[in-house]
Amino acid sequence: MYQYNEVDQKLVDERVEQYRDQTRRYLAGELPEDEFLALRLMNGLYVQRHAPMLRVAIPYGLMNSAQLRKLAHVARKYDRGYGHFTTRTNLQLNWPKLEEVPDILAELAEVQLHAIQTSGNCIRNTTTDHLAGVNVDEIEDPRPYCEIIRQWSTLHPEFAFLPRKFKIAVTGGPQDRAASQVHDIGLHIVRNEAGDVGFEVLVGGGLGRTPVIGKQIREFLPKEDLLSFLEAIIRVYNLNGRRDNKYKARIKILVQAMGIDKFRELVEAEWAEIRDSELKLPETEISRVQNFFKPFEYDSNAADDAVDTLLAENNDFRVWYERNTVAHKVSGYRVVVVSLKPYLKPAGDMTSEQMEAVADLAESYSFGEIRGTHNQNLVLADVKKSDLLAVWQVLADNNLARPNIGTLADMTVCPGGDFCALANAKTLSVADRINEKFEDLDYLYDLGDIKLNFSGCINACAHHHVGNIGLLGVDKKGEDWYQITLGGRDDEQAALGKVLGKAVSAEEVPNVLEKVLNVYVEHRNEGESFIDTFQRIGLATFKENVNATAH
Amino acid sequence: MPLLINRQPAANDSWTLVNEETLSSTGGDIIVPLALLEANADSLQDRKGRVAVQINGDDNIDALLENPNQYELIAIDFPVFRDGRGFSLARLLKRAGFEGQIRATGDVAHDRLTFMERCGFNAFEISEERYSDESLAVFTEVSVRYQGAADDPRPVYHR
Repeated sequence: MYQYNEVDQKLVDERVEQYRDQTRRYLAGELPEDEFLALRLMNGLYVQRHAPMLRVAIPYGLMNSAQLRKLAHVARKYDRGYGHFTTRTNLQLNWPKLEEVPDILAELAEVQLHAIQTSGNCIRNTTTDHLAGVNVDEIEDPRPYCEIIRQWSTLHPEFAFLPRKFKIAVTGGPQDRAASQVHDIGLHIVRNEAGDVGFEVLVGGGLGRTPVIGKQIREFLPKEDLLSFLEAIIRVYNLNGRRDNKYKARIKILVQAMGIDKFRELVEAEWAEIRDSELKLPETEISRVQNFFKPFEYDSNAADDAVDTLLAENNDFRVWYERNTVAHKVSGYRVVVVSLKPYLKPAGDMTSEQMEAVADLAESYSFGEIRGTHNQNLVLADVKKSDLLAVWQVLADNNLARPNIGTLADMTVCPGGDFCALANAKTLSVADRINEKFEDLDYLYDLGDIKLNFSGCINACAHHHVGNIGLLGVDKKGEDWYQITLGGRDDEQAALGKVLGKAVSAEEVPNVLEKVLNVYVEHRNEGESFIDTFQRIGLATFKENVNATAH
Repeated sequence: MPLLINRQPAANDSWTLVNEETLSSTGGDIIVPLALLEANADSLQDRKGRVAVQINGDDNIDALLENPNQYELIAIDFPVFRDGRGFSLARLLKRAGFEGQIRATGDVAHDRLTFMERCGFNAFEISEERYSDESLAVFTEVSVRYQGAADDPRPVYHR
């Protein structure tokens, strides 16, 4: 992974001291509240329902054991001993003290971590495929480009006060495991007819109040033009995006209002001015950054059948293997998904002890690296098959091996009304109800792959619009109600879910879900997934059946 | 109002920002908002004293970009600090070859000065209550930068 040089280190160190001074001036009354708000947000600090919340950046979801141990330490020393992994693969601390945040940032800087631009109206943490570099379908590893974007966007002087936040996702091949079509900019590594590798560029996707699938602005962008094209898009947005209404300020609204063709015209005109400037990425810089992401020195003797006997002998291990591990491009290796969806615990939460256990596992068995996923799980990407049993045992001992990845119980859930000041409704207790209702793993396995995404408000942090099943908390006269959508997906065939019917109460959510699932089970063809069945039979069949059984 | 020019407090600034009401009654060097300037182009020609222009994110500056050096000073207004269009406007002026002073006016303070300078501003009008001598130190708070900008177009790997 990328390692800081002197410049990188100096930047985060100086940034910490700058923020320390800003905090001091704020506490001394020299800095107005709303100005400090903008500054603290650009350092990841929100003020939430009970306490501040600090969002630490994990650039494109990649961290090493030392960093995860530091996060465990920070959570223990400055917080309540746990953290929360988000859909932007960042880590949130829910109970830090405002005046201690500079010290937290200083500790993080010791291991090349920071909270720069994890919030605020600026370019946020770039995300990518959690299987980058280890999946067979990839054209190229997207992470070097994420790092190049990270550097270019960090403290970008022109784009710190955009109309609204700005999110970029990069994928490395035809499969999309980064929800790139619902990002402000989605970059797909593609190969053109001449065999050159570059990017397909989408713009104007997003979720929140107005969910939109991104539109193609350029079919093929040469690699060397990556930064000039990004700069052109964001400059056009900065100058033309709406600033009168924060709900209409995202780039998706500008692209919709203007039309993609007109927007493209403006971007192309701006791009023509800067394409042949210092923004052009030299091959030397691309390969310098690529060198940090070279494939590991895999054991060429790693046996592909190393666990076959164990799988036959140990049913629990086999179930976990089938559900929570993924094929690796190198023979004899496997990708392990660490489930942060234990039974009746908040999705994405992790205690300091659990973080340390995973950090140790990574060091012993996965080249010392850990990745976050946009579904709030972690990944040990390079585990030798012969080590899987040992890894599974440690994960199981730490309540991190519930064999539920990809199932209904692998819900993506925001912290909701229990923590978040923006939320309209609680999410965690309702997620527990769902878990209790669908506790039986055999039933979950029979249902197969289903993505359930659950947001506590329309800001859609848990991406409910693109869940196969989406749950949205709404506030009706002070009570929590839940709107259900079906048919969303965030992969390469991205689609927005459609509303099933009227919002239902917290008690009713599991029952309505059961009816939805019954419709699926009744209508599915052999081996057909929930989303495929939905797309074949349509919303109407679900509506009819769910409403019919309600009376 | 305190004014910094090239990172130093500036005394004896000759420029006065005018509005519709004060335009005719103000002598000496004046800074005129673009719309007002266009509406009074003829009468301003006969005026003694220099004329500069002030722009903001709502203005169409295409004509100005054709010939920015007709002015020795262009002010860019920040109606509220969250309005980041001024950063891009400064870069467009620099790219168009503007060589004069780019002055930030409006909601301008300490924590945005470095980004403004990097985008091409070299003068900052800061309200009395927001100004302190500490503001002078802000330019060196973060001494390294990854990306090129108006101050130095080279990204870190070309420096």
